[in-house]
Amino acid sequence: MSKYLDLDIRKIHELLVKKEITPLDLVDEALSRIEENKDLNAFITINDKVREEASELGEVDPDNLFFGIPIAVKDNIVTKDLKTTCASHILENFIPIYDATVVEKIRENKMLIIGKTNMDEFAMGSTSETSYFGAPLNPHDKKRVSGGSSGGSASAVSGGLIPLALGSDTGGSIRQPASYTGIVGMKPTYGRVSRYGLVAFASSLDQIGPITRTVYENASLLNVLVGEDDRDLTSVKKDKEDFTRLIGEDIKGLRIALPKYFVSDIVDEEISKRIKEVISFCDKNGAVVDIVDMQYLDTAVNLYQIIAMAEASSNLARFDGVRYGFRASDVNSVDEMYGKTRGEGFGDEVKRRIMVGSYILSGENAKTYYDKALMVRDDITKEFNRIFKEYDLIIGPTTTRVAPLLGNSKDDPHKAFMDDVLVIPVNMAGLPGLNVPVGKNSEGMPIGLHIIGKAFDEATIYKLASFLEEVF
Amino acid sequence: MSNYIPTIGLEVHVEIKSKSKLFSDSANAYGMATNTSVNVIDLGYPGTLPTLNKEVIRQALRACKVLNCDITRKMHFDRKNYFYPDNSKNYQITQNRTPIGTNGYVEIEVDGVKKKIGISDIHIEEDTCKSAHRGSVSLLDFNRAGVPLIEIVTTPSISNGKEAMAYLTKLKEMLFYANISDCKMEEGSMRCDANVSISKTDVLGVRTETKNIGSIHNVGLAIEKEIERQEKVLETGGIIREETRRFDDKLGETILMRVKETGNDYRYFIEPDIPYLELTDEFINDSLKTLPLLPDELKKKYSEIGLSSLQIEKLINNRPSNDYFLGLLEFKTNYVTAVNLLLSDISSYLNKHNKVITDTHLSYEKLVSVVDALEKGELSNKNVKDLIDSLMERDLTLEELKKEFNIKNITDDSFIKDIITKVIENNSESVNDYKSGHDRALKYLMGQVMKETKGAVNPKKASDMLVKELNK
Repeated sequence: MSKYLDLDIRKIHELLVKKEITPLDLVDEALSRIEENKDLNAFITINDKVREEASELGEVDPDNLFFGIPIAVKDNIVTKDLKTTCASHILENFIPIYDATVVEKIRENKMLIIGKTNMDEFAMGSTSETSYFGAPLNPHDKKRVSGGSSGGSASAVSGGLIPLALGSDTGGSIRQPASYTGIVGMKPTYGRVSRYGLVAFASSLDQIGPITRTVYENASLLNVLVGEDDRDLTSVKKDKEDFTRLIGEDIKGLRIALPKYFVSDIVDEEISKRIKEVISFCDKNGAVVDIVDMQYLDTAVNLYQIIAMAEASSNLARFDGVRYGFRASDVNSVDEMYGKTRGEGFGDEVKRRIMVGSYILSGENAKTYYDKALMVRDDITKEFNRIFKEYDLIIGPTTTRVAPLLGNSKDDPHKAFMDDVLVIPVNMAGLPGLNVPVGKNSEGMPIGLHIIGKAFDEATIYKLASFLEEVF
Repeated sequence: MSNYIPTIGLEVHVEIKSKSKLFSDSANAYGMATNTSVNVIDLGYPGTLPTLNKEVIRQALRACKVLNCDITRKMHFDRKNYFYPDNSKNYQITQNRTPIGTNGYVEIEVDGVKKKIGISDIHIEEDTCKSAHRGSVSLLDFNRAGVPLIEIVTTPSISNGKEAMAYLTKLKEMLFYANISDCKMEEGSMRCDANVSISKTDVLGVRTETKNIGSIHNVGLAIEKEIERQEKVLETGGIIREETRRFDDKLGETILMRVKETGNDYRYFIEPDIPYLELTDEFINDSLKTLPLLPDELKKKYSEIGLSSLQIEKLINNRPSNDYFLGLLEFKTNYVTAVNLLLSDISSYLNKHNKVITDTHLSYEKLVSVVDALEKGELSNKNVKDLIDSLMERDLTLEELKKEFNIKNITDDSFIKDIITKVIENNSESVNDYKSGHDRALKYLMGQVMKETKGAVNPKKASDMLVKELNK
C-alpha cells in the first residue's frame, strides 16, 4: 500500500496537480488505513459514497491546497445525507437534511468527507468514553484514552488514518485530545467559525476548529473554515487573512506570559519539566517569558459546570422523539413518551448534566449559580485582557497529565473535569487556544503545550507553535 | 355579595405582520397548506440557530409608540424552557428580563368616563405550532412555529368586563391602524387571556387565568361570569385556587382546565445564540417614521374639517375608505360631501362588486369634480346614483360621462322654470294654502317639482326658484 497520506499536504497537492495521484488513491488509502485500525474505534460512520465523490473529482483540476484531500468530521457536525449521531442512541439513525456551514466550506474546497468520528456523547466528557459506540483508543498506547470529547478525530489523525479532521471545543474538547495524542488542535476565537450545523452543547462556549498533524496544515485548514455567517448571529465579520502568514518567522521580541497556576503542583512533574525546557528555548531565541499571577483561573471548572450544564439542559431539550431521532415505543401519553425516549435515548453522563443544568436554572438557583457564574466569567475575561495588554501570548501545559488509562475516570464524574482544568478558561473568555506537541514523557506518551492568543490573533499562536514544532 | 372589588389584568398576544418569521426566513403567512412554510430552524432541527428579523423589531417599536411605552434600548432574548409537542425546541425564545417596551398605557372611555389602562410591558416572542387532535393522535402544523408575536401585558388596572372590552377594542383599532397586526381574533392573530381576582380589602385575591378567549364580546362575558363565580365560591365559604380556566361560550361560563402547581418553573436564561441588541436613535426614528395616523389623531383631524361624529365613526370603521379619504385631504373640496359619497354610493358599489377603491377608476380628481358639481348644483344625488357604475369602472371624466348620459338640463333655469310653472298651474289649492301662510304647502309643491324632474334637479336651486315664482 502506498504512503501518500503521510506526506506533507503541500506535497500531496503537488502530486495531485501533476496528476501522479488521484483523489481516489488518497481515499482508498485512507479507507484501508481505517479498516486496518478498526480497533482504534475512531469512526462511527464511514461515508459510503466517498469513493464515488473522489472519482468525480478526478476529472477536475486541483484548484486549491485541499482539493481531493480526505477529511474526517466530528459526529456532532451535521452532514447532509450522512448519518450524524452525536455518539448517542437518541440520534443513532439520524440522517440530517442539511449541511453545517463548515461542511459546505469543506465541500466547496473539494475536500472528501471520509466519515464521522467518534466522540463523547453530545461532546459531554473528557475521554470519549461516554460514546454510545464505545471509546476510541489512543494510537500511542491502546490501553489509554485519546481524550475528549473530540477523541475520534484526534485518534484518527494521530494514528495516521487521515491527515485532517474537524473537532469542536466547549471546554477543551479539541486541545486536550490533541495533547493526549500528540497532534495539533486549535480552538479558534469564539465567533471566528460559524456554529451553524454544530449540534449545540453549550452555545456560548462551543467553537469548531481544525485538528491536524502539523501547524501549517492547521493554519491552512482554518483559512477555509472561518468567516461571518448570516445563519449564526454570534459569528463575527473580519477581514480575510492568511493564518499561515507568520509561520517561519523567528520569535525574537515575542512577549509571552506563563501564569503561575499553569505550573503549580496540579501539573505532573515530567510535564512541568518539559514546559520549563520550552521556556528556556523561547528565551534563548529572543522571546521574553515572564511568570505572571492570574486570578480566577482556578474557578473555570466550576464555571464550566454551571454555564455549560445550564445551556446544555436547554439545548438538549429538543431531543424528545417528536420530530426526529429515536422515539420510545409502548407509551400511553406524551409525558410518558418524553420520559421513556429521553430515559432510554441518553446515556448516564448526558442525563447527569441535563439534571444538573436544570437544577442550576431552577427558580432562585438561577440567581445563586448561573447569574453569579456569568459575573465571574466576565472577571476571567478581564483578567486575560489585563495580561494581554503586556503580552502577546500566554502559554502553559495543555493538560495536567498525559493520557490516562481507559476506565480511569469513569467512577468519578468530577475527576474527569479536571482533565480540562487548564483549557477551560480559554472558552470562558472566548479566546483562541492551540495545542502543539512538545515531545513525549518517559512512557512515550505525548506532552502538549497550550498557547493562548488575543481574541482573533490566531496568526501569532501559529507563529510560536510552528517555531517550537520544528524543535520538540 | 357585591362589595367585592374585582381586579383584572389582560395578556394579549398579537401576531405581527411581516414577510418572514421571527427567527427564520420562512414566510409568515396565514392560511397556507399545512407544513409548507417550514424550514429546519422552525422544526428545531439539531445544529440550527436563530437569525433575527429586524422588521419585527421595527413593528414592535411601533407598538411601543402606539401604546405609549418606554423603549428598552439595550435588550436581549431569553429562553423559556418547557416541554410541549407544539414547542419545537422545547424552549420558546422570548423576552423575559428586557421587554422592548415598558410602562405604557391605553386610554379608554366607558360611559363617558375616560380611564388609562396601564401596560406593564410589551415583549417579542415566537409563536408555537398549531396542534390538531384527532382521536388518539395529535397533528402538528409548523407553519405557525416561529411566527412573530408581541405579548402586551396590562397592569391589574381593569375593573370590569366593560372596561376590558373597551381596552381590547381600542387596542385592536390602534394596532390594526398602525399596520402592526391584522388583529383577527377569529383567525388567532389576536388572542386574549384574562386574569381575574376579587377582594374586599386592599390585598388582592387569588387570581385565576382564563385562557384564549375567542372574541372581545366573550372576554367581557367571561370576566363577568368569572367574577360572579368567584363571589359565589367565597360567599359559600370556599376558596379560590390559582387555576387555568377556559370560557365555554355555549354554556356561557368559565370551565376549569387545570390547577396550577407551585408556580411554573420556566428556567429562564439569556438566549446565547442571539447577541445583545442595542437600538440606535436612527433605527428607532426610522422605524417610527412610517407610523400612520391613528384613530385618536384621525378623530381630531376630522372634527377640525367639520365631519360629524357619525361620519367620523363610520369612516374609521371602514379602513379602505378612510385611507382613501386621507389622500383626498391633499385636494381642496367639500370634505363633508365627499365623505357622504364615500360612505353611501361609493361604499355600496364597492360592497356590491367586492372591490377596493384603489382598484377602481375613481381618481381623486374625478371625485373632486363630482363633489364640486354637487355643490354647484350641476349634478344631483340622483345623477350620481345613475352614474356611479360608470364613474367607478370607466376611465372617463365627469364631463365626458355627463355628455354621454345627457345630463345637462338640470342647471338650465328655463327647464326648471317650465316645470315649476306647470306644478303651480296644476296645484292651485296648495298655492293658495301657501299664500295664506301654510308652510307645509311649500313642501308639498317642492315634492311635486322633484317628482316631475325625477329628482334630477338641485333641490336648493329648485326650492329657491319655486319660492320666487310663488311670491310673484
